[in-house]
This record gives sequence, structure tokens and C-alpha cells, in this order.
Amino acid sequence: MAGVFGTAVLLLRGLAMNRKVSSRIARVSVLGSMLMTLAVGAVAIAPAAMAADFGPVKPAKVNAKKAALGKRLFFDPRLSGDAAISCSTCHIPAKGFSDGLPLAKAYPGSEGFRNTPTLINAAQKAAWFHDGRIGTNLNDVTRESITETYTMNMDMRLMQERVKQDPIYVQMFKDAGYGEPSNGSIRKAIPEYLKTLTSRGAPFDMGKMSSEAQRGFDLFKGKAGCAQCHSGPRFTDDQPHNTAVPENPEIWSNPLRHVTYVSFAKFMGLENYMNHRRDVGANIRLQKSDGSNIGKFMTPSLRELKQTAPYMHNGMLATLADVVAFYNRGGGNDTNKDPRIKQLGLSSEERANLVAFLESLSGDALTGPEHVWKDKINVNYVAIQDWLQKKN
Amino acid sequence: MKKGKTLSLAVIAIAFGLGSTALADVNPPLAALPPVPVPKDNPQSAAKIELGKLLFFDSRIGGDASVSCADCHAPKQGWGFNDPISRGYPGVIHWRNSQTVINSAYLGKLFWVGAAKSLEAQAPGAALGGVSGNGERDMVEARLAFIPEYVKRFNDVFGDDWPKVNNVWKAMAAFERTLIHDNTPFDKYMRGDKKALSAQQVRGLKLFEGKANCIECHNGPLLTDQKYYNLGLPRAEEWLDNGMAQITFRYEQYAKGVTEKMYRTIKNDAGLYYRTKEKSDMGKFRTPPLRYTAYTAPFMHAGTFFDFDELVDFYNDGGGSNEFTDGTFASSKTKLLKPLGLTDGEKADLISFLESLSGPEIKMSTPKLPPYAPLPPATN
Repeated sequence: MAGVFGTAVLLLRGLAMNRKVSSRIARVSVLGSMLMTLAVGAVAIAPAAMAADFGPVKPAKVNAKKAALGKRLFFDPRLSGDAAISCSTCHIPAKGFSDGLPLAKAYPGSEGFRNTPTLINAAQKAAWFHDGRIGTNLNDVTRESITETYTMNMDMRLMQERVKQDPIYVQMFKDAGYGEPSNGSIRKAIPEYLKTLTSRGAPFDMGKMSSEAQRGFDLFKGKAGCAQCHSGPRFTDDQPHNTAVPENPEIWSNPLRHVTYVSFAKFMGLENYMNHRRDVGANIRLQKSDGSNIGKFMTPSLRELKQTAPYMHNGMLATLADVVAFYNRGGGNDTNKDPRIKQLGLSSEERANLVAFLESLSGDALTGPEHVWKDKINVNYVAIQDWLQKKN
Repeated sequence: MKKGKTLSLAVIAIAFGLGSTALADVNPPLAALPPVPVPKDNPQSAAKIELGKLLFFDSRIGGDASVSCADCHAPKQGWGFNDPISRGYPGVIHWRNSQTVINSAYLGKLFWVGAAKSLEAQAPGAALGGVSGNGERDMVEARLAFIPEYVKRFNDVFGDDWPKVNNVWKAMAAFERTLIHDNTPFDKYMRGDKKALSAQQVRGLKLFEGKANCIECHNGPLLTDQKYYNLGLPRAEEWLDNGMAQITFRYEQYAKGVTEKMYRTIKNDAGLYYRTKEKSDMGKFRTPPLRYTAYTAPFMHAGTFFDFDELVDFYNDGGGSNEFTDGTFASSKTKLLKPLGLTDGEKADLISFLESLSGPEIKMSTPKLPPYAPLPPATN
């Protein structure tokens, strides 16, 4: 038994070193849980093994010209069907690349049913969206966000031709080594830009935590048990869990939001979608017959929380103090709640320490020209002169 | 005797492999509009027609809930759109002329190259197309489910628990089957009221059937043979100087799956070719019906002609020429077009006859549309 236990620790450590590649993280998780099943008590050592991972998010290697192109595309409303919204309409740099709203706005004519997640460090996620339904790569995430009816509702063939109409893009695609603009290279350039959105300057990473925050970190790893799920450089295990966050009644009382949910659930092939009054979360891809995956949502990163209130998949918690209080009382009520969510018995001082620690994970706002396209984008299409003589 | 001659000609023609050409010479006679055909699987009812009317005007069918059928098929614009090429979805303009909905119930081939064979098939093509409605089926159904009056009406008409998107198209089609224009001077004349046409219009009718030979394609009660011809029409002028129009033009080539070589070089609408991919079909478009044309200018698939004068001049000159007639892409111009040698008086007579194909304008205002409401509590 001891041999298996020790091997599990070593393997977990060794595998955790390889977190760079997202697909590999998914494999690590599968392997990890297998090992935990084998080695009774491995769950208890997991936080300690992962604690070694806490630290700065490593900047990704980025091709500057491709990223610059992706940046302009990110801020260009012509990438949505009716040319009214861009990626940055919901992922606002000054709000940590989220939108500051409990529930997202969505494409004109619709309203969203989930909180807009930050895109900072998102390039290093193992799975995307609050339900983790896209877990392949950022190219797929980009496609999904641009084409989905209630996000940007864009026909990518039309998007390609719009981009080709703009001489600035034609030059930028050429400079980036993509040749002429195509919908394929648009879906490569935007992820390249997203890779530039890496946290930096957080007191936690700079060794500048207050003593209060330091005590909060100890609680985080220990008594409060946060590190069971919030581990690694981004403070997330990239796994779905049910913490029984209360449902946001606005989703079900505002027809425009409920319509979007129904459209989504229907398209995803869920049963009985007209009778849902609770967001099924990760059950969208992990449909167990006993319903035990209903209400699971991906563990969010804890980086840049100061910029990204309100919190949780449905924006139900307004402040970090609310979040800590929520966990202190053992989360919400749900039959499928994760058994690890229990009352914590934290004193008010301990809760304040935890908040101070969480705040120490927020760094510099990514609002400078490195991360934001500052030039005005002329969205009026200029006609190609001598059109008859030019190749399309 | 005449019949016998045609038959023997046909036999000879078939022997030389020219059967269809020769048989097409028997033109169905012009006639008053018959009762509207109704498909057996979508019978008319007052409730269905009323539902279809609401849906026709309801912008929530479109992707961003801002465009309805009635935006490109506007009652005040001849139930079409009065620009050469239609507006499209916001952020886009279309690439072809918007055709009138009036009398479309009689057509077996809808859109300019017959891409739909029924009104029920035409509606989703327009409502869901990227440069028209840009809607999406699941979203259409979800939105309708949150409009209690629609839930009730779909249940009454179709028995749906929740509105089904295919029944949206059926209801729209039922409404469109009521948009009939058969009280024209021409129809009255054909039904026996010989005073319904003026002497000039009767002279125009004779020209239509004779010297001008319009009847070769514009025949039967619809004044169309619903076949495809290349007349050598010019391209839409918008493509030369409008960036948004250039985008849609390329998008259509891309979306319709032409070869890359063609995508790079094409500068005009290749028409029926996009459906058949046959070079001989390049530049061909379906013969449009001629009723209600007093309200539907500009004419032709690219809205080339703003009035009947321009239209008649074009035919009098024997049609036009373009890259589909001069061998650049194809040489598919119909042999039926020849200079007609019409005098100014004859042209005036012909135009006067064309005017007899329109009666009073069909007017309709936007109905009051039912609002969204939250769903009742879950039933299980």
C-alpha cells in the first residue's frame, strides 16, 4: 500500500510538470483520478502535490505579427453577423476581459444565461466555457464564439470576405505569413492574440503579499480546503464540480435569457429542455443517467478576480467576501453537491485573510497597447477600385 | 392539321436529338389566372393564414431580431425591394433583386434560379440565409416558444405543443397563397370582358404574341414558362463601386462552391450554373412572371431596368452581351433573342399592354405583433 501511495505522489508530481499542453492536462486528470482511486488517501495528498505548482503563469511563446493581427480582429465588430459587436464587447480589457455583469449580454436580439469569463490566461485552459464543452483547442473556441447564434452569429465565409475587403487586413495577414485572409487563418490569429493575455504583476507572484494575504494563503491550502480544486498556476484543476451555487432567477424570468438557454439546450441534444429551470452545466457533455453531473461547472481560475466581479458561472455572488462567505457556510443546496463542500467555520478575520489572499492574485490591468487595439478601426468597407481588373 | 404538322416536326427533331427545343415551340396560351394551387400537405385555413401573416411581419425570425420577411418583401415596395439589388441582413447587402411575393404561390420554381420548388421551401432559404435573414432553426423555435400567443396559435393550427419551425414555413406559405393579383385588366379581358383592354393594349397584346415574340417565354396564365435563359444582361453596377456589395458577391461564389479559378476571375452572376455546375447554364435565370410589374421596378435579377421603356429597348435590341455570351466563360445566350425592329409606336403599344398586367396595389400594414413572456413553471 505504501508503495502504491508513494508512486502516486511521484507520478502526480511528474505529470503536473507537464501542464503546458492542454490536451495533456486532460490526460493527467484522467490518470490522476485513476491513481487516486487506486491509492486510498491520495486525495488528501493531492493539495500538497499541487501546491508546488502555485506560482506565476508562464507567458506563452507568441508570434508578434500573428498576435497583432489577432488583436485587431478581436476588437473588430465586423466579425459578428450584423457587424454590431466584437469579441471585446463582452470581453472588455478594463474589466479583466469580462464584462462586469452578472449575466452576459449576447448577440443583439438575445441575452446570455451565463457570466462572461475572463480571457486572461484562458489560452492555458484545458477546457472552455463554464461547462467545459469545448476542450480541444482555442481555434475551436474561437469558431464556436464567432458562429454561435447567440454570441456572434457569423457565417465564417462571409467573415472571410469582409476581412478580405479591408486593405489593412490584407497587409497584416501577409506580414503574419498567412497569405491572403481566410477564415482558417482568422481562427489561428485570434488564439495567437489570446496567448498574449497572461497575468503579470500580481503581489502573489512578486513576493509582495501582505502578512494578511500570507495567512489567507495558508488557510487556502489548509483549513479552507480551497486548493483541493483551485490548484496550479491559474488556481484551477480545470475540472467540473458542483458547489451548489444558487440559480440566477433572472435567467428564468427574463424571456430573452431563457430563450437563449432553450436554444442552447435544444441544440446540444438535452432532453426535456422546456422544463429546465436550472442550468445543467457540465451535464451537457457528461450526461450520466443518474443526473449526478447536473449543476457541475468548471472550476474558474482565481487570477484577476479584482477585475472580474461578479462571480460564479451565473454571476450570483457580487464580491469576494460573498464568495468566501458562501464557501464558509458550506456552499448552497443541491442533491449533487460535491461532498468536499462543507461548512468551514472560518472566523471573520480568517475570511478577511482569504479575501486578501485572493486579491493578491490580481495583477496589472492588460489595458495598454500591447493588449488593446488602439487605432480606430474603419468599419466602412472601401470599394476595390478597378474591380473588373482585379482578381477576387 | 396544325397539330399534325407539329407532331411530325417533333418526330424529326427527336431523331436529331433536338426534341425539347422543338416541343418548346408549342407555347401555352396566355390566360386569366386560375385559382391558386394549394399543396395537399398544407391546406389553407383562416387561422393558419393569420398566423402566417404575423410571422411574415415578425422580425424575431431573423438572426438579430431586426429583420422580417417584410423588410425585403415590403408591401409598399411591390412586396419586393425597390433598389436594383435588395437590402440584406444588417451589415450586409444582398446580391440579387428582391422578387415580389405577389402571385408567387403559382410558381414551381422560386428564387432567381429555381433553388426552391415551393413556398414552404423558399421561406427557410430566405429566413436562414447568411445575407438575408441569418436566422437559425433552434433559435426561431426557442423564441416562438416564449410568445404565448404563438404557442396557442401553433397549437390550434398544427397541434404543436411548442411551435415547430417547419410549421413556421407552412404558415408563411399559407399567408403568401392569399397574396394573389388576378383582378388586372388583362385577366378581365381574358375572362371575356373585351372592353377591359384599350385598343392600344390590344395592339400591344398582338405584338406580345407576334412580332415581339415575348410569348416565347412569357406564356400561359403566369406569363412565364419557368425555364432558364441567358439574355446577356449586364452585371449589377453596385459591384463596381460598393465595398459591401463586392463582399457579398465573393461570398456567394464561395458559398455556392465554384472552383477556385472561377472564384478568382468571375465578375458577374453566373445564375443557374451555381446549381447545376454546367457551363451551358452560365448566366441563365428563370423567366419571371409579369403581373404586378407596375409596382416592382427595377426589373431583372440584378435590377437593371428601372422602367418598361428600358426593358423593351433591351429586347428590341436583341438582348445584351456579357461574359456568358461572348465565350469568356460561356456562350449560352438564348437564340430566341433577336433584334425586333419595333417602331416607337409599337413599343408604346407593348408597354401599354404590360401595364394592363397590374391592377390595384395590394396594401397591407404591419400587424400588431404579440410580445414575449416568461414561461410558466416547469411541468415536471
